[in-house]
Amino acid sequence: MKRILPITNAVIAVVSGLIVLFGYFFPGLLSGIQSVLISWAIIIAAFALLVGVFNLVMVHWKKTGTEGSNSIYSIVLLISLFITIIVAGLSGPTGSWTLWIFNNFQVPIEVSLLAVLAIVLLYAGARLLSRKPKWYTILFLITVLLVLVGSAPLFLAGESAPLSALRIWLSQVPAIAGARGLLLGVALGTVATGIRILIGIDRPYGG
Amino acid sequence: MTDIICPLCGKPNPEELDECQYCQAPLKVAGFIASPEDQEDFSQIFPPSPDQAGEEDQDTQPEPPPPSEQSIPDWLKQTEASFLKPSELEPEELSSEQLSEQIDALINLPSTPAEPQKSAIDDEWLTSLLSEAGAIESIPEGEVLLERAVETGEETSTPAGEETTQEEEEPPAVPAERPAWLTNLEASSNIKLDGGMQPSEVPEPEEQEASVEETDVPGASEHVEIPDWISKVSFEEVPPEPKEPEPPIEPAEIPGWLEALRPSEEATPTAPVEDVSAADVVTAGPLVGLRGVISAHPSAIQARKPPTYSIKLRVTEEQRARVQMMEELLAEEQKPKPPTSKRIITSQNIFRLAIALVLILPIVWMIIAKSQQSPLPQPGNYPGVIDFFQQVQQLPAGAPVLVAFDYEPGFSGEMNSAVSTLLSQLMAKNTYLTLVTTAPSGVALAESLVKDAGTGLAGSLSSYPYYTDLGYLPGGTMGLLGLASSPKTVLPYSLEGIDVWASAPLNTVSSVTDFGAVIVITDDPDTARAWIEQVGPVLRAEDGPILMVTSSQAEPLIRPYYEASPSQVQGMVAGLAGGQAYSRAVGRQPQNGVWDAFSMGVTVSILIILIGGIISMVFMLQASARKRED
Repeated sequence: MKRILPITNAVIAVVSGLIVLFGYFFPGLLSGIQSVLISWAIIIAAFALLVGVFNLVMVHWKKTGTEGSNSIYSIVLLISLFITIIVAGLSGPTGSWTLWIFNNFQVPIEVSLLAVLAIVLLYAGARLLSRKPKWYTILFLITVLLVLVGSAPLFLAGESAPLSALRIWLSQVPAIAGARGLLLGVALGTVATGIRILIGIDRPYGG
Repeated sequence: MTDIICPLCGKPNPEELDECQYCQAPLKVAGFIASPEDQEDFSQIFPPSPDQAGEEDQDTQPEPPPPSEQSIPDWLKQTEASFLKPSELEPEELSSEQLSEQIDALINLPSTPAEPQKSAIDDEWLTSLLSEAGAIESIPEGEVLLERAVETGEETSTPAGEETTQEEEEPPAVPAERPAWLTNLEASSNIKLDGGMQPSEVPEPEEQEASVEETDVPGASEHVEIPDWISKVSFEEVPPEPKEPEPPIEPAEIPGWLEALRPSEEATPTAPVEDVSAADVVTAGPLVGLRGVISAHPSAIQARKPPTYSIKLRVTEEQRARVQMMEELLAEEQKPKPPTSKRIITSQNIFRLAIALVLILPIVWMIIAKSQQSPLPQPGNYPGVIDFFQQVQQLPAGAPVLVAFDYEPGFSGEMNSAVSTLLSQLMAKNTYLTLVTTAPSGVALAESLVKDAGTGLAGSLSSYPYYTDLGYLPGGTMGLLGLASSPKTVLPYSLEGIDVWASAPLNTVSSVTDFGAVIVITDDPDTARAWIEQVGPVLRAEDGPILMVTSSQAEPLIRPYYEASPSQVQGMVAGLAGGQAYSRAVGRQPQNGVWDAFSMGVTVSILIILIGGIISMVFMLQASARKRED
């Protein structure tokens, strides 16, 4: 059984992948099977989300009894989770109470986290030269300053045409070049990974 | 040169000695090694062949004792005499009961043919001694019997077996004389032997043989002269019964397991005796005098006193100092350290607070004051904004538009400006908004933004009615692929549980190509790439466009798709600056002071980095100068 099960998994995965792949080349022939397989994958992914929520509850439920003083965070999480589930269940996912919780808790918290991130990055940039700066440290700092100057007009100084042109050049030439190289690498990696999975070398599903 | 081992003390003696030099015990008589003289005597006693023995028997007459008796040593004769004396003295001391038993034994004497065998048995003690000496090996058993016959004066020329068969049929030829002790005994007893016993009372020969075998009377096995009156009575009156021929004995059937246990005939021959004549003789210990053995003398394993080594460690003063230092370090490690008190007010915390205040206070002031000092960005300076505006503007009125809200609420400050302008433009054209999301929090975000945009549209108090929310789309890229090929199958119902695909205007939509446009609002470049790669191939040039509203961090990765030829993204708005440019293109001038706050924040950030960098450089140079001075 230990030998048969991995082989069965590999066969199922390879056949499913080949059907979906050839569905692009022969849409009239394999589109039906392709749609069924995709629907199954979507349902399994939705169920995985529920499993993830259940796992989150179990982990923090165990932490409430073992973490001591830090268990307060787990307790807060569990209480918030159950309250949100109850409210969303009663008023619906787009109900007024649900939107009130969303607009007054989730949005400010996440925005605050990004605001704190902005302050921390600024602090780090100010102290960047305090510890034996290298040449690439100085280069990084100059690039940051140029992008900031070009991203918005300086207050009371207006938009500087040379700085705007420099900012546009930075965002269209070096940044785009790097992005294109990154995308090409991602594409090649995706193709290689897909081929390895289709021929059964990589088995992320186990076996 | 061979040593003789004394049979008593076990010590070796030279072969020329006749007695043990340690305990004076005779050596050569014991038979360990026979001397040549003894071997000659044995050869005289036992003739080399039976023929010669037969010739000697014919010439033998009653003469002085045979040579064998002469060769027997005195101590052996004494030993033999000690065995014979009790039987000779016994008649004088016997009681009446013992006498009757002895008479019965005499009556039940075995037949004469068994006598040679008994004689041979009686001589076993002597035969064993001779065999130990090695002289008996060459003498066959018949010759021994023949010699015994010579001693007893009988003339025997036939083999023992043949003679036995003859004398079973004939009575003994030589009548035995009645001894004097038996005559006296007969006179004193009331049993008259001469004719006193009836022939019928005489036991049969077979019973006699059985009784002889069962009876173990001393002296019964010896040769006894049987009176003629006993032999006549027993064998003349009772003729022997004819014996029936016994059937031949059939060979028994041996079972397989017993056959398997039978030792194989090809037994391993005995290993040849090792010649140890050249080996050394053990001179001490319990095995003294033996050759070819391992000496058990304890000298080989004698314990020695082990050498003594000094346990004092030789170390130098430097090594001793290092050891002491190591001990001190280890002792300090074991001491519990007092907990360090965390100071809240430190230079770093003060610097962080200063940066936060310098950054936050101007921004808050700009928003509160709703400042409009900074000019809005020009749409032409941001690629994709004008194309985005034109694609939305070209949508037919009432056309279904698929809008994906795939960004996190944390990016609301950056994204909401462009999203609000987009929703206002779409609502102005009365397009049917079909909302979908691949982020779990996108449902509430989309609903909230649509309601806000609809409430503020043209001063209406009610929300925008022409939209539907299909909710969360699980599965990531697989979900997007399913949505592109068959949105009805993947998302059959709205959040309210209504089959929106059965009513207008979505009843005309069978695939994603039937939408007027696909607008993706995302902050994640991977999500944007998944939409472009999964949904984009389904859309043809004549179908609806893909439009992107992204954050500034995703712009570098989305722009290659926009600048490709043919472009895979027909329009894009990136970041807060792109949103402000798009708003300017639409004709909406937001009066909320966000752009001035952003401008202020960027300016303050540049100043903080410059000032902080300069101060850090100064402190670093001072520190390096101090190090050089030190």
